[in-house]
Amino acid sequence: MSSSKITLETLDHIAKLARIKLSDHEKEVFLPQLESVIEYFDVLNSVNTDNVSPTFRVIEESNPLREDVIGESFSQKLALSSTKNTQDGYFVVTNTIKK
Amino acid sequence: MDYSTLSIPQIRQLLLDKKATATEITQFFLDKIKLIDPQIKAFITITEKEALEKAAEIDKKIANNETIGKLAGSIMAVKDIFLTKDIETTASSQVLKGYIPQYSSTVYQKLLDQDAIIIGKTNTDPFAFGGSTENSGFFTTKNPWNLDMIPGGSSGGSAAATAANLCHFALGTDTGGSIRQPASLCGVSGLKPTYGLNSRFGITAMASSFDCPGVFARSVDDIATVTQITAGHDKNDATSTHQTIPDYSSLLDSVNLKGLKIGLPKEYFTQAINPEVKAKVLEAAKVLESKGAILKEVSLPSTNLGLAVYYILVPSEISANMSRYEGIRFGQTAPDGSNIISYYMNVRGQFMEPEVKRRIIIGTYALSSGYYDAYYTKAAKVRTLIKQEFESVLADVDVILAPVSPTSAWKIGEKCSNPLEMYLADAYTVCINVAGVPSLALPCGFNSNNLPIGFQLIGNFFEESKIMSIGHQYQQITDYHLQTPKI
Repeated sequence: MSSSKITLETLDHIAKLARIKLSDHEKEVFLPQLESVIEYFDVLNSVNTDNVSPTFRVIEESNPLREDVIGESFSQKLALSSTKNTQDGYFVVTNTIKK
Repeated sequence: MDYSTLSIPQIRQLLLDKKATATEITQFFLDKIKLIDPQIKAFITITEKEALEKAAEIDKKIANNETIGKLAGSIMAVKDIFLTKDIETTASSQVLKGYIPQYSSTVYQKLLDQDAIIIGKTNTDPFAFGGSTENSGFFTTKNPWNLDMIPGGSSGGSAAATAANLCHFALGTDTGGSIRQPASLCGVSGLKPTYGLNSRFGITAMASSFDCPGVFARSVDDIATVTQITAGHDKNDATSTHQTIPDYSSLLDSVNLKGLKIGLPKEYFTQAINPEVKAKVLEAAKVLESKGAILKEVSLPSTNLGLAVYYILVPSEISANMSRYEGIRFGQTAPDGSNIISYYMNVRGQFMEPEVKRRIIIGTYALSSGYYDAYYTKAAKVRTLIKQEFESVLADVDVILAPVSPTSAWKIGEKCSNPLEMYLADAYTVCINVAGVPSLALPCGFNSNNLPIGFQLIGNFFEESKIMSIGHQYQQITDYHLQTPKI
C-alpha cells in the first residue's frame, strides 16, 4: 500500500470517475482531508494477511436462488411517477451519443 | 395521563380496557412534539395526517371488537432513510428532497401491519453518513440532555426523539455504530442486530454488507417486542436470515447471571477512553458481577485496525450504491447538461452534501485501478481476522461488555472541520459491524455534566435473545434507562 500524496490531478480523475463536479473551493477543502484519511489506512500495512482469505459477507449462507417466475412489479405508470421528465412512457435524459 | 412513559404492552392494554383511544394517544404525542421538537429538531417530517388516520383505524377495530395488532397504539418515529409509501423520504439529503416513495421498506411495513402508528420521519446524517447529524442536508438535531450538544448519529433524530419521550420506539440503522452511539449519547437503549436479522429492503443503501436496521426504545423489553415483529427472512432481501426467530419477550429472564462469563476487552479500556466513561462502564460490569457474573479480561488485538478496515470497505460499497442517484428517475433534477456525463456531474455536484461527496470519493479511490488490491482486498482480508477474533473470544466467554463511545456527547461544531477526528469517534463501534455480530447499547449513568454514558453487550451471531436477557436483567437492577431529560 502506498502512502503517496493525493494530487489535484488524482482528485480530478477520481471525481470524474465518481461523476461528481467539485468546485475549486471544495477541492481545496477536500484535498488535505482525503490525504489524512488515506494516510490513516497505512495502519493496515503492518498486518500479515498472506494466508488469509477476504470476507465479503459475514453470514455463511450460500448464494440464494429463487424460482424463475414472474412476480409483482411496478406498473410503467408507477415506475415513472417520481419524475416530471417523462415522455411517451419513457424517462427523458439528455443526449448520450454525440451527433 | 402521560402516555409517553408507558411501555408498548401497557399502551395496548389501555386500548383493550377502553381507558384511552388510539386517537387520544396520538394527539397527545402530536401536541408534545409541537411543543418540544422545535428545540430538539428530531423530526424532518411530522406525519400528523397518517398518524391520525391510523389511530382512527385502530379505534374502529376496537369498537367493532376486531383483533388489534401487537403494537396497537404505540407511537413510532422512523429514520428518514426508511422508505415510507406516500410519505416524503429525504434521507436527510437535498438529493432526495421532495421524493415520495412508491413503496415501503419491509421493516416499517411489518410494524404498520401490527398497528404501530408512525408519528414522523427523523433527522440523520445524509444517507446515514456520519456520527452527529451535523452532516444532514437540513439541520442539526440537538441532544435533549443539553441542547448545545450533538445527539450522536447517524440515527440522532431517532435517539433524541426516544430520549425526549416523543415516541415509544424509533427505527434506526447501524452500519458502524449509528444506533448504538446515539443511543448511548442520548441515554436510551438501542439494538444493532446480527447482520441479516432485519431486512434491508426499502432502506437507502449505505454499505450493503454492513447495514443493519434496528430499534431504539427506553427499555430492553420494548426492544424485544419490536424486534420480534421486524426480524426474519424477506424475499426482497436475499441476505436476510432464514433462521427461526425465537420468542424474545419470553426469553428475557432466560440467562442465568450466576456464573455468566463476561469478557472485558482490554483494547476498549485504554488511555483513549474518557475516565468518567470508563468508570461508569466498569460500574455496569460490577453490577452484573454482584449478581454472580464472572468478569474476565479478554483481548481483541485487531481493534486498532477496525477503523481503517471500516473506512475503506464502507466508502467502497457507498461509492457503488450511490451511483443510483443520477437525477433522472427520482430525486432532484438539474438543468440539462451538454451531455449525459456532465448532467450526472452537475446534479450530483449540486445536491450531494460534502460528507456524501467525501465518502464516494474515498470509495472510488480505494476501488480504482492500481489501488484495488492495496486497499479494498487488503481491508477485506483484515475483516476476516477481526471476525475470527470475535468468534474466538465469544467461544471463551458468554458475552463481551464494552464502552460504546470513548466520550459523552460533544459540542455541536466541535469536530466538523476534521473528518478524520469524527471518524475516530467510532473506534468502539465499527469492529462489531466489521464482524457482523449483534450488540445492545444500554445507558449506565451520567458524567459530571449530566450527559448520558452507555455500554454495549456484544453476543455471537444471532444471540440477540442472550444479550437482551442480560440487558433486561441489568435494567431490573438499575434505573438509568428511566431517567428523562428536563426540557
